[in-house]
Amino acid sequence: MKIKTALLAAGIIASFAGSVQANDPAKLNDLEIAHVAYVADNIDIRYAHLALAISSNPAIHTFAKTMIRDHTAVNEQALALLAKLNAQPQDNFLSQSLQENAEKLITEMSALRGAAFDKFYAENELAYHKAVNDLVGNAFIPNIENAEVKSLFEAGLEIFRAHEHHAEKMVSEVN
Amino acid sequence: MQKINRRDVLISSVAAYAVTGLNTAQAHATPATYTITIHKFKFDPDHIDVHVGDTITWINQDLAPHTATADAYDWDTGMLEKGQSKSLLVSEKMTGSYFCRFHPNMKGTVIIK
Repeated sequence: MKIKTALLAAGIIASFAGSVQANDPAKLNDLEIAHVAYVADNIDIRYAHLALAISSNPAIHTFAKTMIRDHTAVNEQALALLAKLNAQPQDNFLSQSLQENAEKLITEMSALRGAAFDKFYAENELAYHKAVNDLVGNAFIPNIENAEVKSLFEAGLEIFRAHEHHAEKMVSEVN
Repeated sequence: MQKINRRDVLISSVAAYAVTGLNTAQAHATPATYTITIHKFKFDPDHIDVHVGDTITWINQDLAPHTATADAYDWDTGMLEKGQSKSLLVSEKMTGSYFCRFHPNMKGTVIIK
């Protein structure tokens, strides 16, 4: 429940339908977790492209370019590992919820300009990385069964924690 | 037991100085190569003492691409993807702090001796 609360509070997910037991992130299997991670990476890449298109702040641009570069690298490694394991990621409630909420946030951010956009983007990136890091560290990694998938998520978490620290700096720069 | 006089001590000291001096001269004359590993968003080692003419090689072992870039932007490894490395010949201008352009919290220093 702690992870769900954090995700909801950060606006990362919209809502959970169905029973608590059926929609527990800690109950996802490796292929569902891989799907969530792939969706989460692509969402942050979309936010970054939006930031590059709208913002003129150099700090925002530096961060956004890093998000595109790093999340693309993680996704490439994830796809390579799935190909090696001859496995397909599995869509699930959390991937769908992440995607649904991201669409709303992108619509909201697209209407903003100047400092208002920069502040929204920076604060959303910090909240997003905090929530996703909590999810990956506390719900996903302890429950991943495949050693190679677990190792990839551990490497990914190192990256996302660095992003969280970078986002903290970006938030202080735009406020 | 052989008696050691002041002359012997002096000769030994001069010889030792000469050998030490030769080794130091050889170390400077023969450029060294140093390796800095980039792992878990850190430069390892994050501080290195080198001489002009030495070579520093940065190797990225992280999933994320990194750079080693002078704070003054006057030298740069360029982007290093996972498994890539870049060697730079040490010049006077390399002394000082550097960082990763993509992840500014990553910092290191190069000191020219």
